[in-house]
Amino acid sequence: MRILLVYCHPVPESFCAAIRETAIRTLKVGGHEIDLLDLYEENFDPVMSAQERRHYNEMTLEHHPYPEHAERLKRAEGILFIYPTWWYGLPAMLKGWLDRVWTPDLAFTIPTTEEPIRPLMQHINFLGVITTCGATRLFSNIVGHPGRRTILRGMRGLCGRRCKTLYLAHYRMDVSTPESRRAYLAKVEQNLAKL
Amino acid sequence: MRVLLVHAHPVDESFNASLCRMARETLEASGHDVDFLDLYAENFNPVLSRDERLAYHDAEHNRDTVAPHVERLLTAEALVLVFPVWNYGFPAILKGWFDRVFLPGVSFEMAEGKVRPCLRNIRKMAVVTSYGGSRIRSMLAGDPPRKIIMRMLRATIRPGARVHYLAHYDMNRSTDASRQAFLSKTQRVLEGF
Repeated sequence: MRILLVYCHPVPESFCAAIRETAIRTLKVGGHEIDLLDLYEENFDPVMSAQERRHYNEMTLEHHPYPEHAERLKRAEGILFIYPTWWYGLPAMLKGWLDRVWTPDLAFTIPTTEEPIRPLMQHINFLGVITTCGATRLFSNIVGHPGRRTILRGMRGLCGRRCKTLYLAHYRMDVSTPESRRAYLAKVEQNLAKL
Repeated sequence: MRVLLVHAHPVDESFNASLCRMARETLEASGHDVDFLDLYAENFNPVLSRDERLAYHDAEHNRDTVAPHVERLLTAEALVLVFPVWNYGFPAILKGWFDRVFLPGVSFEMAEGKVRPCLRNIRKMAVVTSYGGSRIRSMLAGDPPRKIIMRMLRATIRPGARVHYLAHYDMNRSTDASRQAFLSKTQRVLEGF
């Protein structure tokens, strides 16, 4: 499978970077093709401008603000997100990437009074989220996993009908230990090897 | 009451901007002291940097790069947020405001890996928002912004504080009548603030 790996963490030596390396290695062994998109490294600008918002509903692929990213999304068969959960959600940079790159005419059509929203990402058959959370699992459950739901329910609705999903989280990152982190990397490997 | 009014929509002529103008006028007319934070107009940078991430848990220095924003948050007695929901979440500029300003020592304290909320100065909150998605689609997606506000942010401010969540769903199929009704409803709630 051709997998777009969307990676978002500001610190190159972070644990998320170790997750990314484990994921790439495992997926390559499994024969998958990896296209790595490192948003901080690209210095991606997540803020949608007034001009872009004004034209958003009539957006066509020709006028896409990030044509290269649009092309990579179109070519992908699966998408794997690796990021830290901040405030129970995606880092602003990743949220802005969804807003600016998953546009009408590429990811969906704008609903009208005659027709509901139509998904356009049917070529995506796998959507994965691998993340780290400061919070406990219990509290994340109570809050309702907003970040996970934005991607695995919200964006999932624009993908193929049989699109598989994966969600892995290392909770209580702030009191993690070398053992807990090692165990988590092993879990990442185990899950991605099954893909 | 000192009200921090936060706006996060780029387009001046949008419905969201009119909601915000109405909110400001209504609050001021009731005699509140409104501190207006227009994230787009102030060109707020929502990207948490490498240095900020590394200093994140250092309660003495983590606010250095956003000190004026922390000050505005800590001197507010009420919080009103006006923003659109994009892709079942906050616009990046607003998400980044949470990421960079709601820091350990500001909105919560960390003790032995446990989080204790501490934004006690906020004793009233209202959220005014417009969704592209329909109500049913948003519910099926788990309505992430509503959950963050009603479960997380609500737990961060003073216990028992009143929180209003006002949402106009399905904006792409809204009508003059639906927008007008939403404006009036929002105005009524803010008049009682």
